[in-house]
Amino acid sequence: MNRTLRTATGVLALGALLALGACTADAGTPAGEKLKTLTIGTMTPARSMDPVDAGGGSIPFYQAVYDTLIKREPDGKLSPMLASDWKYDATNTALTLTVRDGVTFDDGTPVDAKAVKANLDRFRAGGAAENAQALSTKSVEVTDPKTVVIKLTGPDPALLDSLSDAYGLVANPAKFSQDKPFATVPDGTGPYRLVADATMAGTQWTFARKEKYWGPAPAFATVTMYVFDNENAIVNGLKTGQIRAAVLQSVDQQIAATTGTQLKTTTQEIDLKLLNIFDRKGAKVPALGDPRVRQAINYAIDRDVLVEQIQQGRGTATSQIWGSQAPGYTKELDSFYRHDPAKAKSLLAEAGHAAGFTLTLPRLTALVPDSLAEAMKADLAAVGITLKWDDLDRVSFLTKTFREFQYPGVVMNGGQPAKDWATVSGSILPKTIANPFGDTDATIQDLTAKIRAADPAQAATLAQQLNRHIVEQAWYVPLYRMQYLHVTVPTISVVPQAGLAVPALYNYQPAA
Amino acid sequence: MLGFVLRRTGAGVLLVLVISFVTYLLLSLPDNDVARSLLGPDAPAELVAATNAELGVDRPVLVQYADWLAHAARGDLGTSWFTSENVGTAIAGRLPVTLSLMLGVTLVTAVVSFALGIWAGVRRGAADRLVQILGVLGYALPGFLVTLVIVLVFAVRLGWFPAIGYIPLTESAGGWLSTVTLPIVSLSIGAVAGTSQQVRSAVIEVLRQDYVRTLRSRGLSRRSILVKHVLRNASAPALTVLGMQFVGLLGGAVLVEQIFGLPGLGSMAVTYTTRGDIPVIMGMLMVTVVGVVLVNLAVDVAIGVLNPKARRA
Amino acid sequence: MNAWHRFLRNPLGVLSALVLLVVIGAALAAPLLTDARPDAAVLRDAFGAARDGHPLGFDSAGRDIFSRLVHGARNTLGGAVLALAVAVALGIPAGLLAGYAGRWFDAVSSWLVNLVMALPAMIVLLASRAVLGPTVWALMIILGVLAAPSFFRLVRGIVVNVRGELYLDAARVAGLPAWRIITRHVLVVVRAPIIIQLALVAGVALGLQAGLEFIGVGSSGSLPTWGAMLNEGFQYVQRAPRLMLWPGLALGLTSAALVLLASALRDALEDRATGPRQARRRLPADVRPARLDGEPRAALLSVRSLAVSYRLPDGSEREVVHDVDLDVEPGRIVGLVGESGSGKTQTAFSILGILPEGGRVSGGSITVDGTEVVGLGARDWRRLRTSVVAYVPQEPMSNLDPSFTIGSQLIEPIRAAGVSRAAARQRAADLLRAVEIRDPDRVLRSYPHQISGGMAQRVLIAAAMAGDPRLLIADEPTTALDVTVQAEILALLRRLQRERGLGVLLVTHNLGVVADLCDTVAVMRQGRIVETGPVAEVLGAPRHDYTRSLVDAVLDELPLTESR
Repeated sequence: MNRTLRTATGVLALGALLALGACTADAGTPAGEKLKTLTIGTMTPARSMDPVDAGGGSIPFYQAVYDTLIKREPDGKLSPMLASDWKYDATNTALTLTVRDGVTFDDGTPVDAKAVKANLDRFRAGGAAENAQALSTKSVEVTDPKTVVIKLTGPDPALLDSLSDAYGLVANPAKFSQDKPFATVPDGTGPYRLVADATMAGTQWTFARKEKYWGPAPAFATVTMYVFDNENAIVNGLKTGQIRAAVLQSVDQQIAATTGTQLKTTTQEIDLKLLNIFDRKGAKVPALGDPRVRQAINYAIDRDVLVEQIQQGRGTATSQIWGSQAPGYTKELDSFYRHDPAKAKSLLAEAGHAAGFTLTLPRLTALVPDSLAEAMKADLAAVGITLKWDDLDRVSFLTKTFREFQYPGVVMNGGQPAKDWATVSGSILPKTIANPFGDTDATIQDLTAKIRAADPAQAATLAQQLNRHIVEQAWYVPLYRMQYLHVTVPTISVVPQAGLAVPALYNYQPAA
Repeated sequence: MLGFVLRRTGAGVLLVLVISFVTYLLLSLPDNDVARSLLGPDAPAELVAATNAELGVDRPVLVQYADWLAHAARGDLGTSWFTSENVGTAIAGRLPVTLSLMLGVTLVTAVVSFALGIWAGVRRGAADRLVQILGVLGYALPGFLVTLVIVLVFAVRLGWFPAIGYIPLTESAGGWLSTVTLPIVSLSIGAVAGTSQQVRSAVIEVLRQDYVRTLRSRGLSRRSILVKHVLRNASAPALTVLGMQFVGLLGGAVLVEQIFGLPGLGSMAVTYTTRGDIPVIMGMLMVTVVGVVLVNLAVDVAIGVLNPKARRA
Repeated sequence: MNAWHRFLRNPLGVLSALVLLVVIGAALAAPLLTDARPDAAVLRDAFGAARDGHPLGFDSAGRDIFSRLVHGARNTLGGAVLALAVAVALGIPAGLLAGYAGRWFDAVSSWLVNLVMALPAMIVLLASRAVLGPTVWALMIILGVLAAPSFFRLVRGIVVNVRGELYLDAARVAGLPAWRIITRHVLVVVRAPIIIQLALVAGVALGLQAGLEFIGVGSSGSLPTWGAMLNEGFQYVQRAPRLMLWPGLALGLTSAALVLLASALRDALEDRATGPRQARRRLPADVRPARLDGEPRAALLSVRSLAVSYRLPDGSEREVVHDVDLDVEPGRIVGLVGESGSGKTQTAFSILGILPEGGRVSGGSITVDGTEVVGLGARDWRRLRTSVVAYVPQEPMSNLDPSFTIGSQLIEPIRAAGVSRAAARQRAADLLRAVEIRDPDRVLRSYPHQISGGMAQRVLIAAAMAGDPRLLIADEPTTALDVTVQAEILALLRRLQRERGLGVLLVTHNLGVVADLCDTVAVMRQGRIVETGPVAEVLGAPRHDYTRSLVDAVLDELPLTESR
């Protein structure tokens, strides 16, 4: 019977040899080729290749194959792209865009004022995730073949940023009449084309540099984006060089990527972990209608421990929703609510809730890990508030929280825009996601109206006032700003995007 | 034999129909807002309603199912709610990955567990005990732990294999082998542990048969008896186990594909079921059920070939 | 030795039972083992090392790991028990009923079972999570449904097998209601396999549950389970790898204990000893030399002072054949009679060198055609078996390999001697004709299950003749056959013996056959030859009491056989 065993061992050894041979072959790729390839690992897939589906963390996918009207530089400055120039009228309610000369789609369709209008109209009509970007638009008019005017319902300080984001993406209008025209096949003027053979929507997208691009040729010949469900796989890929750039959110994976590796890292404090209280009128949980109760919750949470233990120091405790890159940011507000259970108790007593109350919140474990869930529970219990978590899966979490509003609030990650107006329109104006029941007061109305029309220098002061008011009214229970880690292999460098967690595709360059 | 295959195929079609119906009903039970989770919390209510209508999820469930079935019968599994991909295309793109793993594991498992099982069954004693201990270890060690360790050691630390990703066989055979080797090894450990025990028992069982003794009495060598008679008779039960292992591998593939970041059916299953993407879930279920039916049929046919007595059934 | 004692003698089985008892005990007594609540979190303690009252330290939320481990055991084992309960509640009654009553219920339930078994478990669990939400209990119920077919098939198969058994018929005739028969008789039969299956399915349930929770699918929030702990540990594997250690260890130990327990139970309940474990490590044991008294030995087969021993599980040996002397001259038929267990078959096997595993010739000498075969090398044995000595077994059906045609089985040994395929086939057909088979070509093409028992015995005799042997060892060659066929086969044997001048050792318990066929006879009892001599002498005037009782028994039977 020795023979059988020997055969088996032989087969195994052969397999191992083949595998080793394969590995050597792989390592034999010329170094020059590797330099020209950018592989990005991410956890946010693109829903489709249609600009109306663009938004948030998936924007780099669209930046590969489409251009935006305005280009967003890493520091947040805006520069011309498909629009060579733009200008507001005196009342800030009409934006005139000049379309760049000589840009065409692959089939020869020119990018002109009509094409731009068609795209803007399509986004407004069938818009999706980032539909809010187009809400201020009243109409779009073509005044001559190279000029488009966007008429607004009122001043919109965020419009130019929107035009450098999903709203500004321009696709070939010749295909608009088709059913789901860009679901899997993009058609834009971007620097890359999608390589269908090497693409598997949902997990892997490969883009190859176009022969001809109207702008400066991009540095990388190939861009591949891999989507993973967990950062552990991304970090493994970074360590073996299969992934060459990624943004890591999990603190543990950040540590994994930085210990014992040659990887280049840049930190960025970007997203905010916060408890968003929807029920500021107290419709579901009457206690929440009282600002003192909301303040008590703010005082009850020991943010320093959260940062120290959950973030391992990779973050900053804060009591404001403004991000540190925005002009309205006020440093001292970071520590407005210091951990003070005694004060929380007395505030509750003042509000007539000395006996405490019960708060039930939805929980998506991806957003609220055990550590945060238990810590909040313990901190609130210490002042007499009973916190209950409803564990939900992703679909019912979104449905119950954001459509049916079954809960008085939700713990989530908020963005930290670099522009004040983005924060105002995203978190304070009525009927936004953060303010579904349209809460407001005289101070807020006054300040937002002023900020909307003010010049930048003035706007900063006004935004700071608004920021302080929101903190004092305890609209939110901000917890901490999270540090994200941009990781690249040594041959690639990346500049983080101000106010956004995901760098634009243009921000990656081969390292000098 | 042909009649048997036809009968089984008919039963398989009925099975697929019933499963598809029950699953569709069950999946439609929770009143989830598909468009909301699709469009995100920011989207306005009118748009959400319009999208729900566009997806057809505002119709009665039975109408939805009939519509789905009519399309599925023509080979059109619909479009993913979340990625707008054609479900058939999406599955076809991922099937090779999972199939590579499953076939690879089955091959490795068959070779190694037959070798180990026969060795243990024939030699008994220390060899037998070794195989049994390996079996218990392979069974008891949680698969994902083993996989994590394998990735850390052979990919991250030693760099012998890539830690993530998949290279299609059509692109590069060497690349394909390098990307599937570690996943196959990870999955094979548990499979070999289970199957080699079965082969061992089957071999011992056959060795106890009277005809083996009689064959020896006719002057046939131990080896030729083993290679011809024992192997063939022990193959039928071993094949049954192998077939069941093959089906069970889908479960293992879910874990392994996650850890290796492989774009296969397993990772697809996790991603799309958590999103509640009914067209994709239905498509995957149909493809896997059809796969299971086919594998079972193939196993039965193979057993019929190996064991003439089973052909009468 | 009953099952319980057999189980206690298996150290691995006892050890795994102890491990399981400890785990279950810890789960039940969790609140007594630790003061810490499993969900009491002090974030400041997160990842903290062990200290007084917290023997394993703290997890990422600052909860006591030990407390979560033992409380987690409740939920994890509880989940597995739930899955088992569902599987058992669905599978066993349905299996009993389907197997016992059959008909439409059997058809419907078997179809349903096929349906469930065609479902890929993991995909179904993932899909049902989308429906039922992320609660581990719901998933365990689904898992139970998915596992039910394994019980159903097990129970149904066994019940179908025993349905035709006599004692069930008797119970039915006695008018016992069906449920009484099922509970009294059938459950006893399926008990052991079910217990084994329980242990195996429990292990699978544990593994799947942990796997689901590991990928974050089965989590139920702060409910402590081992899978959830593993998931948590995986998230912090860089910072605190030990978070994975304890739940991983608990899970691994419990699963290992379950599978070991299952195999120990199987061995104990089904009395399937794992075989002599020391087989290969022992040096070849000594063979007691034969006492040769100088008497002449038969030229064809001569056995002197033969002893056969079997190794016991504890390593010691037991002698089952003692001091046997036998001689078979060419052209003579020697009968070896005795009741079953008297050692006659062991003697025959020793001569052929085909003693089962664990048995060996422990003393004496056997010469076949002048060659000493005790301690003979494998190659020489094969030469003897192909050309000198041949064997006709007792059960014709079980002695043909069901997977090969008769032709293939007849031709194989002929070809092994270096004969061409065509010539071998011709010779096989000739052999079949020689055993009075009329249509040899059809039989050559047939599989064993396609021919009758008598035909099969002819085939076996033909196979024995393939090498033109001079000595035939026939072990109860007619016992398994109908009376009419018996006579034909005996006649055939006699003809062959005369035509070819064979020496035959005929092992049988049938004195009639001996009287009919044999020249001399040896009577065996309890491993010894008690009387030997010419047939007429031994049967006519038995000297030994045992022989006399055998002869008397045959005389008593005679009227009975006639009255049939």
